[in-house]
Amino acid sequence: MSEPTFTGWVRRRTTSVRVKVADAVAKTLITTAGISTILAVVGMCVFLVAVAVPLFLPGSVTPRSGAPALLDPDGDPPIHIALDEHETIGFAVFADGEAMVFDAASGRELERRRLFGDDTPTAMSFAPTGGDAIFGFADGTLRYGSLGFEPEFVEPSQIEPEYRSLTVGESRSRGEGIVQRTPTGSFRTQRFVAKLSDPVRISNASIHAVDLSMLSSGPILAAVDAERVFHVKAVTIIRNLMTRKETIRATGGSMELPAEIAGGRLPDHCLLEGRADSAILVWDSGRALRLDTRDRVEPKVAERFGLLDADGATITSIGFMIGKTTLLVGDSDGRLQTWFRIRPSDETDAAKLVDGSRLVLAHRLPGDSGVAVTSLASSSRTRMIAAGFADGSSRLYYVTNDRLLSECPPQDGQRGAISAIALSPKDDGLLTASRDGLFRWGIDVPHPQTTLGSIFGKVWYEGYEKPEHVWQSSSGTDEFEPKFGLVPLIFGSIKATFYAMLFGTPLAILAAIYTSEYLHPKTRARIKPAIEIMASLPSVVLGFLAALVFAPLVERAVPAILSAFIAVPFAVLVGAHLWQFVPTARATRLAAWRVPLAMLFAIAGVAAGFAAGPWLERLLFGGDIMGWLAWKPTSAGAQDSPFESPVGGWVLLLLPVASIAAWWIVSLAMGGHRRDAIARLGRGAAATAQAAKFLGGTGICLGITFGVAWALSAMGFDPRGGVVDTYVQRNALIVGFLMGFAVIPIIYTIAEDALSSVPEHLRSASLGLGATPWQTALRIVVPTAMSGIFSAVMVGLGRAVGETMIVLMAAGNTPIMQWNVFNGFRTLSANIAVELPEAVQHSTEYRMLFLAGLSLFVLTFLVNTMAEAVRQRFRKRAVAL
Amino acid sequence: MSATESTKGSATPAPLERRGRPSHEGGTVLAAGEPIVWLLAGGLGLAVVMISGLLALILVNGAATFWPGPIDEVRLVDGTVHLGERSRTDRFRPGEDALAALPEASRAAAAAAVEAGDGYASRRLIRTANFDLTGSHFTWVDDFSIEPDGVTQPEWAVAVERLEWGRFYGFPERAELGDETVAEGPEASWRWYEAEHSKVRRLWRERRSLETHEIGAVNRVLEQARLRLREQEFRDGVPPEWVAAWSDLQRTKQGGDEAAIAEMQAKLDAIEAAGFTPPESFREAVRRYEAEERESNREFAAVRERIAALNEEMGRYRILFRTIDGTEKAIPLAEIVRATPQNRLGLGGKVSTYLSRWAEFLLDDPRESNSEGGVFPAIFGTVAMTLIMTLMVVPFGVLAALYLREYAKAGPLITAVRIAVNNLAGVPSIVFGVFGLGFFCYVLGGSIDAVFFSAKLPNPTYGKGGLVWASLTLALLTLPVVIVATEEALAAVPRSMREGSYACGASKWQTIRRIVLPRALPGIMTGAILAMARGAGEVAPLMLVGAVKLAPELPVDGVFPFVHPDRSFMHLGFHIYDLGFQSQNSEAAKPMVFTTTLLLIALVALLNLMAIWLRARLRRRFAGSQF
Repeated sequence: MSEPTFTGWVRRRTTSVRVKVADAVAKTLITTAGISTILAVVGMCVFLVAVAVPLFLPGSVTPRSGAPALLDPDGDPPIHIALDEHETIGFAVFADGEAMVFDAASGRELERRRLFGDDTPTAMSFAPTGGDAIFGFADGTLRYGSLGFEPEFVEPSQIEPEYRSLTVGESRSRGEGIVQRTPTGSFRTQRFVAKLSDPVRISNASIHAVDLSMLSSGPILAAVDAERVFHVKAVTIIRNLMTRKETIRATGGSMELPAEIAGGRLPDHCLLEGRADSAILVWDSGRALRLDTRDRVEPKVAERFGLLDADGATITSIGFMIGKTTLLVGDSDGRLQTWFRIRPSDETDAAKLVDGSRLVLAHRLPGDSGVAVTSLASSSRTRMIAAGFADGSSRLYYVTNDRLLSECPPQDGQRGAISAIALSPKDDGLLTASRDGLFRWGIDVPHPQTTLGSIFGKVWYEGYEKPEHVWQSSSGTDEFEPKFGLVPLIFGSIKATFYAMLFGTPLAILAAIYTSEYLHPKTRARIKPAIEIMASLPSVVLGFLAALVFAPLVERAVPAILSAFIAVPFAVLVGAHLWQFVPTARATRLAAWRVPLAMLFAIAGVAAGFAAGPWLERLLFGGDIMGWLAWKPTSAGAQDSPFESPVGGWVLLLLPVASIAAWWIVSLAMGGHRRDAIARLGRGAAATAQAAKFLGGTGICLGITFGVAWALSAMGFDPRGGVVDTYVQRNALIVGFLMGFAVIPIIYTIAEDALSSVPEHLRSASLGLGATPWQTALRIVVPTAMSGIFSAVMVGLGRAVGETMIVLMAAGNTPIMQWNVFNGFRTLSANIAVELPEAVQHSTEYRMLFLAGLSLFVLTFLVNTMAEAVRQRFRKRAVAL
Repeated sequence: MSATESTKGSATPAPLERRGRPSHEGGTVLAAGEPIVWLLAGGLGLAVVMISGLLALILVNGAATFWPGPIDEVRLVDGTVHLGERSRTDRFRPGEDALAALPEASRAAAAAAVEAGDGYASRRLIRTANFDLTGSHFTWVDDFSIEPDGVTQPEWAVAVERLEWGRFYGFPERAELGDETVAEGPEASWRWYEAEHSKVRRLWRERRSLETHEIGAVNRVLEQARLRLREQEFRDGVPPEWVAAWSDLQRTKQGGDEAAIAEMQAKLDAIEAAGFTPPESFREAVRRYEAEERESNREFAAVRERIAALNEEMGRYRILFRTIDGTEKAIPLAEIVRATPQNRLGLGGKVSTYLSRWAEFLLDDPRESNSEGGVFPAIFGTVAMTLIMTLMVVPFGVLAALYLREYAKAGPLITAVRIAVNNLAGVPSIVFGVFGLGFFCYVLGGSIDAVFFSAKLPNPTYGKGGLVWASLTLALLTLPVVIVATEEALAAVPRSMREGSYACGASKWQTIRRIVLPRALPGIMTGAILAMARGAGEVAPLMLVGAVKLAPELPVDGVFPFVHPDRSFMHLGFHIYDLGFQSQNSEAAKPMVFTTTLLLIALVALLNLMAIWLRARLRRRFAGSQF
């Protein structure tokens, strides 16, 4: 095959298999690894979405299989029902004081007993949580206690043989209870237990309506008897040390209800709030009377109001939610409302109220069914409620965000009105009772409290004066409702970014322009990498410095620092005007010393600022800026205090604006032929004219500042409450300053790159036509590089939005929404860092934090993409030039 | 750039004058725009000064932490005396009551001093230490309340660094060995201390090694046996009733009460009689476990005996100190890490104390909830995490870049991917932490636990933050850095070289391997090092995926399998956060935070400088090899 060649070497014409295989393997490997690496990045976004999405998924309620517990079809349906936490056993209470216990799985009746022997209660009430109950009788006595389940553990060796075959977790009825084999090696029997007190006599007349609240000091009872007398009693149990006999003593007062209210009829419901400081009496017509029971000896009327606004409707079901603070009202038209007490923050408003608070209609739950609400039940852990209707249907609501979670049509064989409804203690089961029997449902609504509206909109939480944006994910008590509003956190992120950019952007861009246009290439080659290395300074270091070094320092020198902010640019400008007197030849030779000289003047400015600080404080802020900032018009002795005048604050805020205005006025006034006149002067005279212009401008600036400040103050405007207010040690000023360090290197580097990549021939042409470097920079270089500078700012913005450690350590982390530069905030990123380590996997909080992470991801990704797009366009344009 | 020269060119008015026209120097003044140029210069100057000032602050404070300064005895006019090191001074506005509290005689002088300071006075923060006696570490002393010439430096004031309760300042008084006094007076006691201290510390180290290694080993063996038994329990489906009763019996056996043991045994027998019996295979496993437990207990007792003997020997050596207010305090020599009579030291002694403190800082474990001792575990954790991260990120980053640059067909999709990768670098690091926790720890780690470590559940092994997950998270975070750097490096290889290679008949892979990659290597290395620098300084995601305040065990040690990627670890950055922000006593911790900060910055800067140096070196090497 092979032909003789010139060199005598025989060349193989085919590529060796090894090379081919290596090529193919490399291609496959690189392609798969490359694509999968890129996919991993995409997967990250997908994963964040996947975790956050269940927050918005609707839940489901499904009928539980198993036979319904059949009740006596001729008897009255039960008025109260409950399930145990394992959903193995339940009980129902009937109006005649009889209790029935049943196996929740099979519906079989286990036990039936009369709670009070032959007595029949005339009134009864059940607390929304905890199983507390109270019963009133015709003889004016009350019996209170708790109805619930108690576990009993049976030794495995003692258990009857028929239960030994149970598998772990399985349950079966045993006598009057339910036995379950637990995974920890015991047999737990749940039994119904009614612990009721001896009768407590509070009146001689029959009890008509009754309620109780369990305080840590003991139970408080409230009742209305048939003679329209309201009683409120605190119960104490006295144990006789000799006889060991317990006697119950009820102390408190009573009050006759005003005769005119509700036409002299008896109230239908008596409701005592959780802390027993207020009781509400309700008539089915909608009339209501709230009594102030803080003083239990002398209750008094607090307010009267109507609970229903529609005519013709009547209240058909009413009760408290968890915590006994929010009142749930259901009417004959199927409407549901919730009411709770608020304390108006306006002191004059609050003073008009008997106990400083007022009951308000907070939520109207959506979805009128048109059928009367016949029973209500509240969850024992969240603000979820269940409502039963006259047509046998039931619904689940989440109150705080006005959300209808699910509608449950009647199950087969269920026709009558729902007389009692119960949510299981773990919120995963629903039990309804009507005369047709007991019906069970399984609930699967993992995140009832989150909707787009509740996360990003204002929500009216219990006890708040009005709907608000709130983030508060945890608290000490069980009755606490987590509040997941992202807006305060987003606000915090924006505030941090704003103040950081306000400080960092001008400095970085000024420095970049000087570096690219005036600095000697050799100096530039040294300075630029040094600033670039600063970009990799760990932010935890900045956070530590901010929180532990700068925050205490700044706190002690606020006026000095504020005046230094003004004095430094002023001093540099003074330096520049003095420089203009230097003859041209020397000025050109000394041009390289401009930065050190400017620094000298800047340092002089800092020194002047610090020297002027105390003086400024005396002049503008009544001698103590902290006191001035904390001053409130409502506080005591406010009117004669030296802090009353808001002029100082206005001066501070107006000075930057006024200096720009003054500059504009001066350049306008000195334009045209006056400018030409200066141009015709000699160097020294022109410099003098410039200096005079500068001094004049300064005067105008001060004039505008003080004039407008005085005018605004005279008109009654006060900057306090806006961008300045009470000083807190860890605040936006500190964060802005230190976060400036984080963004300056980034903005500087990218902006400098953009300025440097403006083609050299443009500069040469401009300089060649006689323009000065400054004119070239202003008219040619900066406009050409504008989009590059813009994208630098955007990238800096992206970094500031997501910065975590600095804000975590130096911002105080209180999720409040105020622009005040002197107080703290909590950002999305810091919130994640604080709360995610403690969040339980798959809990609502966990998913909310993922949503926060996703928002940050999307936000910064968008900002960066925009910056990138602008930069690409800029690059194309720069190449075209 | 020729900006400065051109200033000269445009400002020289000579040619104009020659034509007899009037000078327009005023126009030059206007056109030069000096005020604004000065503002630009000021901006640059401020940025540079601020940044270098920040570094200088850290450097000075961090380097000064360990310097043994003078120990002052400060006498106040009201008769109180403080002994300690001056921590810092500041100026404050004294209230009326501060002056009123002074004795009559000195009030006027103090008031005059305050008056002279325009209402301000200076005060000093003295680190008085002796927390166990006084309940505080620091005391503020107003300078005007100090007696004239009230600050002295007593010769025998000794700073004692202890294992517990922080520092102690006092005067050595007496040395005791067992019940007898072996030396009296400061000088003799001090000589005795210097002679004996290193010996006692050796004993102490021996005890610590017994406590950590020997006891740890015994515990591990026992833990392994317990896990095996638990696995067997799952396999055999043992009734939980039997397990519960048997565990009760084991617990009672530890107590050693015969009657209770008999009762428990009876209970177990009753349960077996009721039909809850384990299979024979499990009984066999239980017997094996019991044998292993007996063996472990015997070893355990032996180790404890040795520890007790060491404790007794060490406890005999005590040195008695007198504090400034006359309280006597005996400190066992074993508790003393280092005692320094700082006022007696010459420069050599000070330098040696300084270096010894640095050595302790770099090589020892932390103590006193991290505010004293060393940061070795944190250094180790930082380096280990960064290395593992680099090992993961570099291959994948390079492969992805190779794909994007060499194999993928250029088009809008690839451009979009490139922009997306670029932008990923700007996504906040905490978001990566969120992903790392949710996906790596909970999903991946949770699955690993469910498959391989089910016996340990519900205690997570991999289903929590750990070294491997932290490294993976940071690898993802730094991936864009590597991809972008590599891509740029690949793009910089001239097209002519590739074409030359193809013309010689090389295949694509051969071209990449022999021609492109070697030339791109400097860029790739730079990318890798920049990724390391970014990863080493990142803290926010680590808070979520495995950095902890105190990790008792290093992720690499002498126990099989030697590397434990599931373990939590300490990290310098997190250490700074924890110490500065979460610490109970942040004032006392501040010097340590500065030192740790200095260390972290040095590490990051070193990596960055290495990148710059490497880039320059490799660039030079390949500079001549282009066409």
